[in-house]
Amino acid sequence: MNGPLILGVETSCDETGVAVVAGNEVLSTVLASQVDAHARFGGVVPEVAARAHVEAIRPMVHLALRQAGVHSDQLDAVAATRGPGLVGALMVGYSFAKAMAWTLGAPFIGVDHMEGHLFAPRLEHSDFQPPAVVLLASGGHSQVVHVRAWGEYEVLGATIDDAAGEAFDKIARFMGLGFPGGPAIDKTAEGGDPTIVRFPRALRDRPFDLSFSGLKTSVVTFLEKAKAAGSVPPLPDVSAAVQEAIVDVLVEKTFNAVEHTGVDRVAGGGGVLANRRLRERLAEEASERGVALYLPSPALCTDNGAMIAAAGEFRLERGDVTPWGLDVSSSLRLGS
Amino acid sequence: MKILAIDTATSASSVALGDGDQLSAMSVRVDRRGHGGFLVPAIDFCFESAGWKPAEIDVITVDIGPGLFTGIRAGISTAQAIAAAIGAPMITVSSLTTLALRAATGRRRIWPVVDVRRGQYVTQPFRPVPGGVAPDGTPELVTADGLHHLLDSDAEDTLLVGDTDELPPKTLLGLHRVKRGRPRYPSADVLVEIAAIHAERGQYVRPEDVRPLYMREPDARINWSDFREEGVWPGEGS
Ligand SMILES: [Zn+2]
Repeated sequence: MNGPLILGVETSCDETGVAVVAGNEVLSTVLASQVDAHARFGGVVPEVAARAHVEAIRPMVHLALRQAGVHSDQLDAVAATRGPGLVGALMVGYSFAKAMAWTLGAPFIGVDHMEGHLFAPRLEHSDFQPPAVVLLASGGHSQVVHVRAWGEYEVLGATIDDAAGEAFDKIARFMGLGFPGGPAIDKTAEGGDPTIVRFPRALRDRPFDLSFSGLKTSVVTFLEKAKAAGSVPPLPDVSAAVQEAIVDVLVEKTFNAVEHTGVDRVAGGGGVLANRRLRERLAEEASERGVALYLPSPALCTDNGAMIAAAGEFRLERGDVTPWGLDVSSSLRLGS
Repeated sequence: MKILAIDTATSASSVALGDGDQLSAMSVRVDRRGHGGFLVPAIDFCFESAGWKPAEIDVITVDIGPGLFTGIRAGISTAQAIAAAIGAPMITVSSLTTLALRAATGRRRIWPVVDVRRGQYVTQPFRPVPGGVAPDGTPELVTADGLHHLLDSDAEDTLLVGDTDELPPKTLLGLHRVKRGRPRYPSADVLVEIAAIHAERGQYVRPEDVRPLYMREPDARINWSDFREEGVWPGEGS
């Protein structure tokens, strides 16, 4: 084992993720997903999420330690997501992790969730280093980040309305495809013809910013018109066209940032990066431009404890230990 | 028998250490938010003051509510983590019992009331018995009007304690047998006393079984106008 032994806890939204990481080696990573609990509401319900975390946190920590073959008193530090996220959800994992660290006499690291995503690629690609451009896209966030150095981040662009994952969710719900929308549309779009309709790509005039609320409106309008005309196109085709519109914008803004910064490394994080078409398009574009692409495997793109442990290790090594009195912060901002 | 008690079920957060029912150290803060920032520094202060080590603790007791959901979850998560790290059993206590025990001074029947927001309150009658209190009914979730009716239907002289300042003034109008009293908040030193009794009887809860006492389902409200209930392809699969 190389590097300190760190327990990472992530409870910012609807997944209770816990992992044990040593250096960049993931010894164990476990996840209690609440997708089923939220599916009937078509989105994450904060109080439902917080209640599920309080039931899952203890068994998940136990399981992660057991799978890693590690006893709690061997841990060098405990890290947990401090924000951004849902206060009630954050509070559960953060409180548990902090109290555990205190009891063990180990340092506690409150981690910025977004910084966690930035560190996820390192868990599988030890050569991933700044400077780089990283696309972060999920149900809760969408931004293009210039990572100048570890700990030095500039958010070049962000969504001005819905997050990319939120757009997938809303559109999938309207189309009757279920929750979460990203995987549902990814699956339905298989074999579909994305060229049957071209949905608008918003904010073409702003190089790095994103907007998705207009896309939802245009999908709704398109389908209502088609329905009235009695000629609704096949579901896979519409799904593919929706996916193409979202993917197009994400890829374009990411590589605008690559051009602007002159970096030769690109990475991604967040649940939307598990989308197969997005991964394919990023790979094509990266190879065409001769830049190296570092995408975590889908399980490390979605929220997980391992990325929190990885970012925690960096903070630990810098001596950024979190004081016991620091509370969660739902509105934490990267680079501020 | 060394006891660690944690209470974050209401606006008042408190931590206490007790040796049996003897209080050794205590820390309190009144703040509706910020339970998460208070707890570990308070625990650290108590251990430092008492000169104890976490591993010496025999049992951890926590207030499971009813009360403020986020606070209750912060308290339970903290208590569970410490219990897990040192392998200690737990004892759970309701905020209503804690309030009633501290209020027990005379012959009046005690109605502790806890504000659970959204115009709702939880209450439960207790009667004083030698050495403490005994529940005289089950916890009920009520509106201020509902509380008025409950108190009005009680033929005995009663003592109303807890979040009484949060009640609309008209709640107690015309209720001549009701007296308002203290305490206002549940408190960890009372948890220590209760836990000492439970521990003597071997009444423990396994840490994995500890759950908040919500008394209310989550209102899973979403803005349905954002969505259309049906897809354009009703019944059509992929
Ligand atoms: Zn995320």
